[in-house]
Amino acid sequence: MPLDVAPVIRSYETQRTLNPPGIPALAPPPEGETEDIRRIAGRFGEDIPAAGLHHGNQVVYAQPGQLKALATFLRDDPQLQYETLIDVTSVDRSELPLDGEARFQTIYQFRSYSRNQHLTVVTDCRSGTEGNGTSPHVDSLTSVYRGAEWPEREVFDLMGIRFDGHPDPRRILMPKNWPNHPLQKQAPLGGEEVPFTFTWDDPEFDTLGTQILAAESVAPDLPPGMSRQNMVINMGPHHPSTHGVLRLVVELDGERVVSIDPDLGFLHSGFEKTGENKRYKDFVYYTDRMDYLSSMSNNLGYCLTVEQMLGLEIPERAQVIRVIMAEMQRIASHLFWLATHVLDVSGTGMSLLMYATRERERILDLFEMACGARLTVSYIRIGGVWQDLPDAFVAELKDFLRLMPQKISEYEAMVTEAPLWQERLKGVGHVSAEDALAMGLTGPMLRGSGVDWDLRRDRPYSGYEEYTFEVPTRDSGDCYGRFTLRLEEMRQSVRILEQAVDNLPSGLYRSNNRKVALPPRAELDVSMEALIHHFKLMTEGFHVEPGFFYHGIESSKGELGFFIYSDGSAKPYRLHVHGPSFNNLYAIDHISRGEMLSDVVTNIGSIDIVLGEVDR
Amino acid sequence: MDWLQLLVFPAVRALILIFVLLTGFAYLTWYERKLLARFQVRYGPNRAGKFGLLQPAADAVKAFFKEEIIPNHVDKPVYLLAPALALVPALIIWAVIPIAKGTPAIADVGIGFLWILAVAGIESYGIILAGWSSNNNYSLLGALRSSAQMVSYELPLGLFLVSILILAGSFSLVELVEGFRPWWEWIWLWLAFPFFFICILAETNRSPFDLPETENELVAGFQTEYGGMKFALFFIAEYVNMISTSAIMATLFFGGWKGPFADQYIWLGPIYLLIKVVILLFLFIWVRASIGRPRYDQLMRFCWQFMLPLSLVYVSVSAVLAVFLK
Repeated sequence: MPLDVAPVIRSYETQRTLNPPGIPALAPPPEGETEDIRRIAGRFGEDIPAAGLHHGNQVVYAQPGQLKALATFLRDDPQLQYETLIDVTSVDRSELPLDGEARFQTIYQFRSYSRNQHLTVVTDCRSGTEGNGTSPHVDSLTSVYRGAEWPEREVFDLMGIRFDGHPDPRRILMPKNWPNHPLQKQAPLGGEEVPFTFTWDDPEFDTLGTQILAAESVAPDLPPGMSRQNMVINMGPHHPSTHGVLRLVVELDGERVVSIDPDLGFLHSGFEKTGENKRYKDFVYYTDRMDYLSSMSNNLGYCLTVEQMLGLEIPERAQVIRVIMAEMQRIASHLFWLATHVLDVSGTGMSLLMYATRERERILDLFEMACGARLTVSYIRIGGVWQDLPDAFVAELKDFLRLMPQKISEYEAMVTEAPLWQERLKGVGHVSAEDALAMGLTGPMLRGSGVDWDLRRDRPYSGYEEYTFEVPTRDSGDCYGRFTLRLEEMRQSVRILEQAVDNLPSGLYRSNNRKVALPPRAELDVSMEALIHHFKLMTEGFHVEPGFFYHGIESSKGELGFFIYSDGSAKPYRLHVHGPSFNNLYAIDHISRGEMLSDVVTNIGSIDIVLGEVDR
Repeated sequence: MDWLQLLVFPAVRALILIFVLLTGFAYLTWYERKLLARFQVRYGPNRAGKFGLLQPAADAVKAFFKEEIIPNHVDKPVYLLAPALALVPALIIWAVIPIAKGTPAIADVGIGFLWILAVAGIESYGIILAGWSSNNNYSLLGALRSSAQMVSYELPLGLFLVSILILAGSFSLVELVEGFRPWWEWIWLWLAFPFFFICILAETNRSPFDLPETENELVAGFQTEYGGMKFALFFIAEYVNMISTSAIMATLFFGGWKGPFADQYIWLGPIYLLIKVVILLFLFIWVRASIGRPRYDQLMRFCWQFMLPLSLVYVSVSAVLAVFLK
């Protein structure tokens, strides 16, 4: 059944036609050059249509025919060493003035950990030919970077771009009978918008209830590569230890795992599509709902991306408040991970669950103090933070910081040193450093395999360069290594917090650039100009220069990246979220093969996923 | 009068025993929930009645009024038989335990040890049949684990029982409690107690050896397809088993009903036994609140590579001690 939804025209919202004539616009070509770009241009010459810096990121445009060769070169060249592919995304440019250029582009984020370099590669997609159907297609990079498998499946699912040579070209988030590829611009936004009207005659009611796809009964099928000779069991989506609505199809030989096929998308809520229909400042509230255990980090990641596209300066005090919030959120998220991980593995860890949530409660109380919300905070906003810290906050935080290290020691005494706990975790879920890089794992999954990389230290943002802290790594690559690593990260976060709270400067908590950040409430009573700014920001929002930008931050689970493609208007033209859980969860099949069924549960806990972020 | 002695008195005793055990089960759940809550910085049930003392009654009412659901895909007769089969051994194992001077719970059959071993042997059938008849992969895995685990841990358990038997020189539990034990025998017994306790944990499927039902990987293991009163029967079986095995341990290792003045005032016997049982139950719950669960293969390895050799050594040394010192 096709979804046939007419777009809702709302006179109170800014219409596209009201934009200045230069909007929408394509992203401008990159300028300047760097050492890496010279090296790439020297190797590929004419096959690189454009290369340079864009918003401070290195960008290389590649011909679709040369994409695979370029990726191989990036990985294998001794002077480049881009070991990992962080993210794959795509953009449908059909609403931009194309002048005959390709409609679809795929965008790749490469990262060199050893050389601390980031590179964005953009490729036009080949348009479909008759024999291959009509969908656009591009070469798959799975043979070069293994971790491209899931991001490419996601691009296919949501954007309809086929990847030639992909080993497993199935949909990943949407149901397999879904009629369209939702991120294509002609696909309707869908969903049930709340009618903002006083009369029943309003046309907004016409679409109500028509936007739901009839529930078709889909026959269960065996994932490719699995055999009915073995026992195939279905873990989830309703299962005690899949941390939400994750479904794993597990093929078992006795109690040994032969293979796992994760089935995602039960919590897919189309955040990216929604984001493309919201003004920049309105998407902050949606980021809370992705990784709902670390909403502060999500706010921060999104706001930093937009701010860097705007070139906005953030006041010193706001920076420090952001660091305080992000680190508290990291501790809170790790505490919850600890609680559920111990519960999953040992079953009797209910005691630790209670202890850890008791400490997490203190952090949530502090959040409540700062912004009134505990879980979905939306505290960090574009330009700064929502409001200043209350007076009692610092004393409360210091009290918490005095308490926390000894609590971490208590947890260690309870589980880290327990022989049964070590038995369960040591040697389980092993990832070697090479595999971690090839699979594009980030965060504790990467550091647990011995790769010394932390975005806070190596590509600092929000003034992280001013704090002294260590980046713990473990060489073992197993669940136990990641376990002790996360405990150590909590200690380091406490360290950062201590420094931040001691050096909290006075000053503005939000940028006083009135074109982007709202004026304080008190100013509205006395200043006409403030009122105008408030009105403009609340109705139209601010415009962002055409271009695209990817920025990643170190959230508690790994690299949380936001990619924004702006067409110059007040809404993102394309918004993509690189969720760390999504990429890290890809490893579950690799690390669980040959292990016991119980270890699957251990591995899920050790990867630390939040389904809101995996499915987005 | 013979039929009175043979039938009526034991039947009345059995009814009283079942009543006491089921009440004990109900308040054991309360005791466990309260204790666990205290271990976990919570309050536990405190709404139904004073200190939540009516909570077990509320639970019972809830279980009774649940809809009886029998899934279509199960093997119906076996599916219905399994909960009963799980509960009955837990109750009848009590028959031979002495509760006061010269008084077994039901009968002094003279082969008390064998009775315990035999009943412990059939305990696993309820779980295996439940898992098999449910026709569910999770249940099946739980049942397979259960059968392997219970059969394995019965070996060291049996060997420890045999050692005690060798030292006591009698099959009767009544005689075991009332007979004299020298001080070295007590110490030798207590050395074995921790290991015996571990075997008992595995035998009763209690945490950390609750692998047949591991809610984290097997959802609810062998009981996945059970609900309402049928589930409650498994639940009762587990808790009555805890009480029974605690009573057995108290009898074997801590003198059962014995205590100051229990010889003169016979009614003190059950009270002493109750106190000992409650203390042992505390151990069960303490372990549950603080020790993580091993993996299934680790559990089996621990049994075959550590517990079994250890119990064999223990039997041999006990035999030597019995020959030379008794």
